[in-house]
Amino acid sequence: MKPSDLPGPETIQTDVAIVGSGGAGLMCALHLAERTPGSDVTVVSKGIVGKSGCTRMVQGGFNAVLDPSDSIEGHFADTLAGGYWLNDQDLAWALVNDAPKVIVELETRVGCFFDRTPDGRIHQKAFAGQTFDRTVHRGDLTGLEIMGRLRDQMFRIGVRELEDVRALDLVVEEGEVSGIAALDIRSGRPLLIGAKVVVMATGGAATMYSLATPAREKTGDGIAMCYRAGLELRDMEMLQFHPTGLLAGDSRLTGALLEEGLRGAGALLVNALGERFMVRYDPERMERSTRDVVSRASYTEIAAGRGTPAGGVLIDIASVLGTEEVRRRFPGMVDRTRQLGQDLSTGPVEVSPVAHFQMGGVVTDVDCRTELPGLLVAGEDSGGMHGANRLGGNGVAESTVFGARAGDTASEMLSGISTGTSKGASRGASTKGRPSIAAARGFFAKAFRALGADEGEHPMALSKELKELMWRRAGVVRDRANLVEALDALEDLSERCTRTRAPGPPQLNPTWQEAIDLENQVTAARCLVASALEREESRGAHYRSDFPETDNARWLRSVRVRAGEGGRPQIRTVPVELSRLAPPGHDATGDSGDSGGQARTSP
Amino acid sequence: MRSRTRPVGARAVGSLEVLVRRSESGKDDRFVVESHPGMKVLDVLVAIQRDHDPSLAFRYSCRVAMCGTCALRANGTSVLACQSSVPSGAKELRLAPLAGLPVLRDLVVDPAPFFARWAAVTPYPVPDAAVSAPAVVRPDSPERRTIDPALDCITCGICYSSCSVSDEGRDFLGPAALNRAMVLIADSRDTMRTERLARIGRLDGIDRCHYIGACSACCPKRIDPFDAIRRLRRWRVTGPPAAGAT
Repeated sequence: MKPSDLPGPETIQTDVAIVGSGGAGLMCALHLAERTPGSDVTVVSKGIVGKSGCTRMVQGGFNAVLDPSDSIEGHFADTLAGGYWLNDQDLAWALVNDAPKVIVELETRVGCFFDRTPDGRIHQKAFAGQTFDRTVHRGDLTGLEIMGRLRDQMFRIGVRELEDVRALDLVVEEGEVSGIAALDIRSGRPLLIGAKVVVMATGGAATMYSLATPAREKTGDGIAMCYRAGLELRDMEMLQFHPTGLLAGDSRLTGALLEEGLRGAGALLVNALGERFMVRYDPERMERSTRDVVSRASYTEIAAGRGTPAGGVLIDIASVLGTEEVRRRFPGMVDRTRQLGQDLSTGPVEVSPVAHFQMGGVVTDVDCRTELPGLLVAGEDSGGMHGANRLGGNGVAESTVFGARAGDTASEMLSGISTGTSKGASRGASTKGRPSIAAARGFFAKAFRALGADEGEHPMALSKELKELMWRRAGVVRDRANLVEALDALEDLSERCTRTRAPGPPQLNPTWQEAIDLENQVTAARCLVASALEREESRGAHYRSDFPETDNARWLRSVRVRAGEGGRPQIRTVPVELSRLAPPGHDATGDSGDSGGQARTSP
Repeated sequence: MRSRTRPVGARAVGSLEVLVRRSESGKDDRFVVESHPGMKVLDVLVAIQRDHDPSLAFRYSCRVAMCGTCALRANGTSVLACQSSVPSGAKELRLAPLAGLPVLRDLVVDPAPFFARWAAVTPYPVPDAAVSAPAVVRPDSPERRTIDPALDCITCGICYSSCSVSDEGRDFLGPAALNRAMVLIADSRDTMRTERLARIGRLDGIDRCHYIGACSACCPKRIDPFDAIRRLRRWRVTGPPAAGAT
């Protein structure tokens, strides 16, 4: 659409605009409503509220220290070891301390009911990488219970729900956020939302890979918007691959997960030659090794030609537990494989590593504040909490804990109460909160460009190209040559994104929405690849075949990326602050200089 | 014909004629899609959008039967597109939006009337403010045995859409909302159980149910709202169940 044909935006004025309606967004709304009754809260949801994110899809559970014989320090140490010491320790400390409180809140105030032990107390199960059984769950549908109940709380507190509305960009004026430029997907009309505080909680961008688990709406919108607004991102090279995603060819079911509990229960992984290949990668833990190790092992087998014709390996639990036991313990997973004409309870099923969770994201403090006044970030959009690898059970814990913290902080900002520190005072709510149409016009023009364009590429074709490129060149195993090639190809894709074409009407036009999604995915992908190129070692989810070792002497550093000239990723690295705990045997006198002065822009 | 990866186990490829109800014309559009065994209705829609009409509007998110947003009618039956296979050997598939809800565009409906009724039963618990620790409730207690099988509702609206009474414009809370009310009334942690029972006993409540049972027959999560309504009718006479005695 030509800029001259662009309809003028409808405007909405609110106290707090929460972008995203998953675990982080709705917990934020709940805390805000309780801390500041009467505040005007708006939830901006790209799809149906509570249904367009991944918290709802959580199977496994929620890590929290509840048992008197467990300890906060234990959960903390497990989280850091699991994150290969790249975590922001303040964020991790906040998580482990708040997680038990949030579980109690979910149970006693929100209405959740988690599985019980026979004597009626909350049951906690074992999960990979943890020294204590501390994963709270409801069967294998934990997320559904949490999101269902949280969504129902919205009916109680009465927030304004903007359903089928997507945020396009942050409006920043005079150095602070004044609101968001948005698009009403139903009407196809621009929307300008003025807000004293914006909370970004949209979810990550793992969908940039051809094999991926997340919900369709999760296209890294928050990360891309923050990047365009000039914020710094961290650890973007850290993208978790889950080892057991289902393969279903072209079907949209491809990438659906088989849960980690299968490996916990003794499932075997074999290649096409029938070999239990984990013996070559982790002979001690075998299939029960961590996600990063198992994913890499499967990937290596497949790449070496020992995969199945469809490009997977086989998971076999039927021969270990027997048909009846598999059906009894994993009914949901058996159902899922039957949907593909296979049956986990009677034989092996083909699986592949799949892109799952983004550890990297926007730099925040423990109260979800960012460097931009008026902007808070929570959940998968933020970075640092999980370091180089997320433990199963820490994901939904993060989204609800930090969603709650964002709500508390927003409430504090609204009431103008300083935290008593100069930081708190200087990073208060936006004093303006009323964006000017002029400041948002460019965002609308950009978003509307593809709609009805006379010529241009099909966004879905470009999207496929992006996903295949990322899988092939920046996936489970990376090296310099492939990453350099990926960065070049992404620059080209980024340019082609500005020349897409979406035929059809403005209302509920999926191809138009995909054109906008694509730009965000490509932005996140460029940050990921530039960061991956910088980190010349292997750590957690990031594996470089040209630098296969973990190098604590040089690389206990976080890779930071910010938009440089022409929007290109500009990289620097900063040392990880080992403020509470250091890795075993770490020499504290090692390199810890800041390379902030040597920032450079990637090609 | 372009070559594509087939799902695991795919054998023969056939062609499927798909009739899709379009909102602009009010008529069905006809598409021919290549089919394969195990193909889901969602795959059919994605194929149409990719190969024939990029502007076709339909909704989906999670694709693993958790979000419930891909509900539609396939050959007249309300289903989740992500879980519903194209019948093997089928030559024709008719797709239409879910009944009983306003159509926004093509196969996309506005779930607002469904959620308005859901909200009308006060779907959140009202806990005792003095309680500060998770309740001790045995998993084999009658209370949990009543609640647990009724809990995993994904609010897809299929039961609402399939119910001949809860159609838009008629005054009935519908199966999903009543099932939610049952879950809360059975929950000993809730302090508003008597009021809830009174609410669902009003004119638009349990007495509107004609005991046809389409709700339970259609539920993709195998929940039994029909049974929930029966319990509610019983509790209206006996009062809410005592803790541990449902």
